[in-house]
Amino acid sequence: MLRRTALAATALLASAALLLTACTGGGSTSASGTGTPNPNASAVIRLVLEPGNLDIRQTAGSALDQILIDNIYQGLVARTPKQDIVPALASAWTVSSDGLTYAFTLREGVKFHDGQDLTPQDVVWSLTTRKNTPAFSDSARLANVTSIKAEGQTITLTLSQPDSSLLWNLTGRAGLIFKEGDKVDYKTKENGTGPFTLKEWVQGDHVTFNRNEAYWGEKAKVKEVVFDYIPDNQAALNAALAGEVDVVTGFDANLKKQIEANGDFTLELGKSTDKGTLAMNQSAGSPLADKRVRQAIRQAIDHKAIVKALASGQTMYGPIPDLDPGYEDLSSVAPFDPAAAKKLLAQADVKNLTLTLKIPNFYGTTIPQILVSNLNDVGITLKVDSIDFSTWLNDVFINHDYQLSFVLHTEAHDFENWANPKYYFTYDNPQVQELYKQSLAATDPATAADLLKQAAKIVSEDAAADWLYNGASVVAVGRGIGGMPITNINERLNVTALTKSDG
Amino acid sequence: MIRYTLTRLALLLLGLLVASVLIFLTLRVLPGDVAQLIGGVDSSPAQLAAIRRQLGLDQPLWAQYVDWIGGVLHGDLGNSLLTGTSVAQELAQKAQVTVPLGIIALTIAVLFSVPLGVVSAMRRGRRSGTFLTFGAQTLAAVPVVWAGMMFVVVFAVWLGWLPAQGFPRSGWADPWAALRSLILPALTIGIVEGAMLMRFVRSATLQAVGQDYVRTAAAKGLTRNAALIRHGLPEVGLSVITVLGLQVAGIIVGAVVIEQLFSLPGIGRMLVADVSARDLPKVQGELLALTAFVLIVGFVVDLVHRLLDPRQREAA
Repeated sequence: MLRRTALAATALLASAALLLTACTGGGSTSASGTGTPNPNASAVIRLVLEPGNLDIRQTAGSALDQILIDNIYQGLVARTPKQDIVPALASAWTVSSDGLTYAFTLREGVKFHDGQDLTPQDVVWSLTTRKNTPAFSDSARLANVTSIKAEGQTITLTLSQPDSSLLWNLTGRAGLIFKEGDKVDYKTKENGTGPFTLKEWVQGDHVTFNRNEAYWGEKAKVKEVVFDYIPDNQAALNAALAGEVDVVTGFDANLKKQIEANGDFTLELGKSTDKGTLAMNQSAGSPLADKRVRQAIRQAIDHKAIVKALASGQTMYGPIPDLDPGYEDLSSVAPFDPAAAKKLLAQADVKNLTLTLKIPNFYGTTIPQILVSNLNDVGITLKVDSIDFSTWLNDVFINHDYQLSFVLHTEAHDFENWANPKYYFTYDNPQVQELYKQSLAATDPATAADLLKQAAKIVSEDAAADWLYNGASVVAVGRGIGGMPITNINERLNVTALTKSDG
Repeated sequence: MIRYTLTRLALLLLGLLVASVLIFLTLRVLPGDVAQLIGGVDSSPAQLAAIRRQLGLDQPLWAQYVDWIGGVLHGDLGNSLLTGTSVAQELAQKAQVTVPLGIIALTIAVLFSVPLGVVSAMRRGRRSGTFLTFGAQTLAAVPVVWAGMMFVVVFAVWLGWLPAQGFPRSGWADPWAALRSLILPALTIGIVEGAMLMRFVRSATLQAVGQDYVRTAAAKGLTRNAALIRHGLPEVGLSVITVLGLQVAGIIVGAVVIEQLFSLPGIGRMLVADVSARDLPKVQGELLALTAFVLIVGFVVDLVHRLLDPRQREAA
């Protein structure tokens, strides 16, 4: 089953990592701002990645999920920054003990932005259409659903087999609810149920949301939110210092001093599920098919130095970040040890190895420089091939034509790629695939997480790849701004609770 | 003159045709396509094929070219594969930023380069002339990006006079705000382009100084400067007009860079974004429009030059 892995790039992204937050969950938003929030305020948030278009049904890219889900479109359920699943358009739900029946209670009185009522039939239509339209993102995530029915306000999903990831999937694109038969031009307009409506999108510049005054739930705290797309961090810094933006996301933590200089901004670091993944092509014939060579590379890399150079984030030594279920500290699997790395290379009888790293050009040079130096220390010559993202998609992702590749994988709960031998990771271990399958079929979340943990350990022990760092969301929050999400905002940026005071 | 104009026009059209083929083909050499970007990293081959079919990317190349150029001949530059909006409409919208930017930049370039170029030529050998020449050499060698960053640091961050980046979200509804946001980027392009232009004006002036008719005028009693201004400058002006035609292309290239640096929603930034997104119909429409613009400017410059230069007029 192929699923989506949002690369923090599907439009274009800088090297810094990021994260998100919803109104619920507390602790993952910025400290409240000074002064009294002004309900008529307009808040400007710098983002890095602009979506190619706004059609979240079909167009890939975390840039769409980031601003559109929660703010404009909603599903039956939603996720918090802490990755808890909470009610959204459904006020409650039950799951049968065999894990095969999900019953959701749909809220009443919900209206779409064009004024039409949300009906149970809209939910059935949205989910059914999604499931039956392969061209829509994430349609495969509903593969286990055999029937979607409405009775009164109760929506019932019946499954062919238990799927511990279903609720999570419904908090994403797979679960978004649209108006049946809507004629909206989804590429440039919207018609959702969320707390904001789309005011305008000026391509290459900004997207503006207005507060939805007819929202069914607690209304947004600001009148208008502007997402200002500024790809360059230096330009973003200038914009912040000149008072042109209120919040800078996707920032470079190395610029902390500069942005905090005049006291108007505070740099905050939030956790994220961003995984700086060094993929190693291990298909037959590759020098990396030998596990000892891969392990040598892992041990040659000074992960702490990378985190230090980024001035944000933390080390990670396995495929699962600590925000996700199944995490465990695997640092003992591949400790930094150049001597051990050399020994492994000698055992593998590898001499004068030259490898090429393919890396999308928006990630900057910090990471490649460290890799070149670290690998050089153990006798591996690394060539860096900096390419644009479309080329990366073509060469690495589609054609698996690479030796080493670096990309920031942002999506939460994406272990599935290690259980998919056809994915560009080229990792094929039947034991891992079986454990993942069992984890999906588990009806108890603790069991599911434990099975993932076992699988993740094997992936790390196999040196299936290296994880250079677990990114942080680096957010500079202006004075007067409160309720700014800071956890995992690369994935979701719910701005409902954002406040701005005039002070 | 009519024959000359017609020949030039034929060359212009031929140039456009060749450019259209080159633009079309070189873009097809780029690896990756928009279907992959739309489908994302989880798309199956079947899904990609469906998207390509939907976008017409499964047609043979020549059919795609004929389809495109056929539309162009009817005044239709094509539509974006991503948003479905028309390229002409997008260009018109982004031109609201880029055209004023270019005009201001060109004005700045001419305003400072022509007087300074002439002065530095007339003061050749003196300290002030050497200083001006040295200054122009230095400025011409400065990368546009660096100059832009310096201007931002000084005028936006330190002094706070002008915005550091961006364009008013309301566009030209507030003309003063819009103009203010274009001053630094225009200054950046204008100074760097102007420095090159100044060196040209200087050498054209020096050449004029050496011309027989200037010497004759001086011999007839005019001062050397008066002779130069009265009889030499028209010649310099002609050369400047010719070079300005070429500068237009330089300013467009400058705009591509500077619009990134200043986050201006203009044609240059759109072009870069569209290349990254492999929105090829949009890119080729934009490139063709820009090429046509540069070629037409060249055409007009040729005609104006012809009209103004008495020697060429007589030769015709």
